[in-house]
Amino acid sequence: MQFREATPEERRIYYSEEWGGRRELPDYILHTLSLREFGFDHDGSGPNDRKNQFLTVEQLENYIRTKYPYSVYVSVAQYERPSQMSGWLKAELAFDVDAKDLPVKNCCEKGQVCEKCLEEARRVVSMIGDVLRSDLGLRELRYSYSGRGFHLRVLDEAVQKMDSTARAEVVSYVIGGVVPSDLTLSLGYSKVFRTYAARILERLDERALLEGGIRKAVVTAIMQKKREVISSLAAGRIEEIRGIEGIGEKTFLKLMDLLARLNSEQEDSRVTVDTRRILRLPSTLHSGVSMKCVEIRDINKFSLDQAIPKFVSERSGS
Amino acid sequence: MFYRELLIPLLNPFSEEAKKIVQSSPPLYSLPPELIQEVLNRLSRPVPSLFTDKKLVEREVLSFYLACAGVASVSHPYSSEARLLENAVKVTIKGRMFELFKKGYEDCCLEAVRSFIKIEPILGRTIRGKEIPEKDYFRLRDRELQRLGLLGKEVDERVLLQCIPKYAIRWADLSPLLEHNRLRLSDLYLVEGWAAISPSELWHLYSEFIAVKTEEYLEDVQEKLSQVKPPPLFVEVGTQISQLVPKEKEWKLVAVKRGKLKPELFPPCIKKALQGCPAGIRNFAVSFLLTSFLSYARISPSGKPDPRIKDFVEDLSVLTDEIIPMIYEAAERCHPPLFSDQPQEKANIWYHLGFGLTEHPKLEDSGKSKWYRTPNCQKIKIQAPALCEPDEYCAHIKNPLTYYYRRLVEAKHAVQRSNTGGEEDLL
Repeated sequence: MQFREATPEERRIYYSEEWGGRRELPDYILHTLSLREFGFDHDGSGPNDRKNQFLTVEQLENYIRTKYPYSVYVSVAQYERPSQMSGWLKAELAFDVDAKDLPVKNCCEKGQVCEKCLEEARRVVSMIGDVLRSDLGLRELRYSYSGRGFHLRVLDEAVQKMDSTARAEVVSYVIGGVVPSDLTLSLGYSKVFRTYAARILERLDERALLEGGIRKAVVTAIMQKKREVISSLAAGRIEEIRGIEGIGEKTFLKLMDLLARLNSEQEDSRVTVDTRRILRLPSTLHSGVSMKCVEIRDINKFSLDQAIPKFVSERSGS
Repeated sequence: MFYRELLIPLLNPFSEEAKKIVQSSPPLYSLPPELIQEVLNRLSRPVPSLFTDKKLVEREVLSFYLACAGVASVSHPYSSEARLLENAVKVTIKGRMFELFKKGYEDCCLEAVRSFIKIEPILGRTIRGKEIPEKDYFRLRDRELQRLGLLGKEVDERVLLQCIPKYAIRWADLSPLLEHNRLRLSDLYLVEGWAAISPSELWHLYSEFIAVKTEEYLEDVQEKLSQVKPPPLFVEVGTQISQLVPKEKEWKLVAVKRGKLKPELFPPCIKKALQGCPAGIRNFAVSFLLTSFLSYARISPSGKPDPRIKDFVEDLSVLTDEIIPMIYEAAERCHPPLFSDQPQEKANIWYHLGFGLTEHPKLEDSGKSKWYRTPNCQKIKIQAPALCEPDEYCAHIKNPLTYYYRRLVEAKHAVQRSNTGGEEDLL
């Protein structure tokens, strides 16, 4: 699929003919619309037009249909005075997995996006959702496709008042961003870390391990027994990895540190810790790639076709 | 025999029972001066005393609040005095929980805990229908023994039982501990939103919780007292508490003086940032991290809550000749070079140094904006994870500046030990 920039005319057509407005906006936005800050990018230079407030959904619809902006954003936070970004009330806990920034890519260049890395990003965001449910007991999860990756918003009240430091702890947990004190536990964080780490290791090549500071001889040994190492790591059979020649305590810790760092780079933690962040409004257009940002009911059944605007189908059809 | 009404205020000085004691007593500033000695005792040798006499419980609660008022009168919330008080609170509360569990007052302790945290017993090794594997149970016990420094040692059966998971607590209720960096979420064993913890961990977490509440309360009192002249009794208590701060600790915190920078002692993140950074992190690394780190490390302000550079230097040469060139060189090494497409960042650097948004500052401009403090390691990990590659000195360090100061002090010790007789220009 070609991710081409939308022209102003295509944007106008999208918002006047295809965009469903109220019908397509997620409930959690509709019900709190007047408490949120809206941001707009009018020409592709970034969301410079911020601190907009709409008291009714009709006002928002009219504004978007008249201006057909390049991008539309909405805050994760709710405010007493959104037009001043003051009187902060609470904020969804948001996760952003961008396909172009995945730490290990075997498809296209870093900074680029293709269908393969979008699928990879979908899997990562799905895993984050699984950990949020199984370990943190959170239930109100809302996924959306952002055009170049995926957003996940957590609406549970238990997390909406947390500050940035607590959110940093949450993101570190759900993405496996620190080496656990005990790598062998069957449940809890130990398992989360191992699952991500094994997955990352599976995708790492020799060069990446060398760049990560692992000695050549050890890298060779790991690559020769890669299957076994991954399986031991996933199952928490750490002694089997330590048994490989050349992997002493120091090297093992170095390898775990590298995997923890790569784990943490799978998600943009700056988004998660930012309690005043604006994210793309689901249902609007990502004009940079001519794709719709859509709310996803079931992340495991998401298909890119759901996000292709009509003008793109017609563009490729003609 | 202990009564609930007397135990709750001893376990939770912020409970309704404790507040009632304060409300029904004379104002804190008019309390008899002999209470000062009790406050000082509570801080210098924290003892987890339990009382059956109502009067003694009242004095205990009042001495806690007097200690808070004293500390808030003479220092800021994160001062050594505040840390001394919080530490005493932790030791006392933890000790009381331990004693009460031993004496069979577990229910009363759980009642105190429940005022902040949801807690349930773990029945049949199952949390929310999910069974915890037996192997994990023993690993968790060993982990707790290790935290207590008892792993591998011969310990009493009762101690072992105190280290085995017994309760499930809701992790979200622990968010104050996360927010104050007193707990790593990844250290909890979480199942369906609940953490499996042992009695020993419960005492620890709860005492940390009360310490956080104390920290927050101190902030409130500090703010209130900053508007008025503190009563003499508070100042007297605070001054005497200041004298209790261990000299060694004090020296470690403030001994580092102004001096030439020693880049070889910089933490790994600063060394990396000096080498130049890619587009995604270069603004943070150069304009914020390097600017704040290098300026604070070089100038080492102390004794003022909101320092301005002009209070510590006589002219701008320390910035223009030493610090700014290092920052500009790092900016040039970025890929792409930072100023080539963002020349406005030069003004931003001066803004972060406290001179307002300008490229041509004068010394008197210092104070026009805030002199930004060096971000904590946690923030660096989030904003620029690629910069964070900890070395062996990074353990237990929360801020790059602490890393640098600690290594400077260590280097000074090394010089003293080698007894070269020369005066090393380290500090």
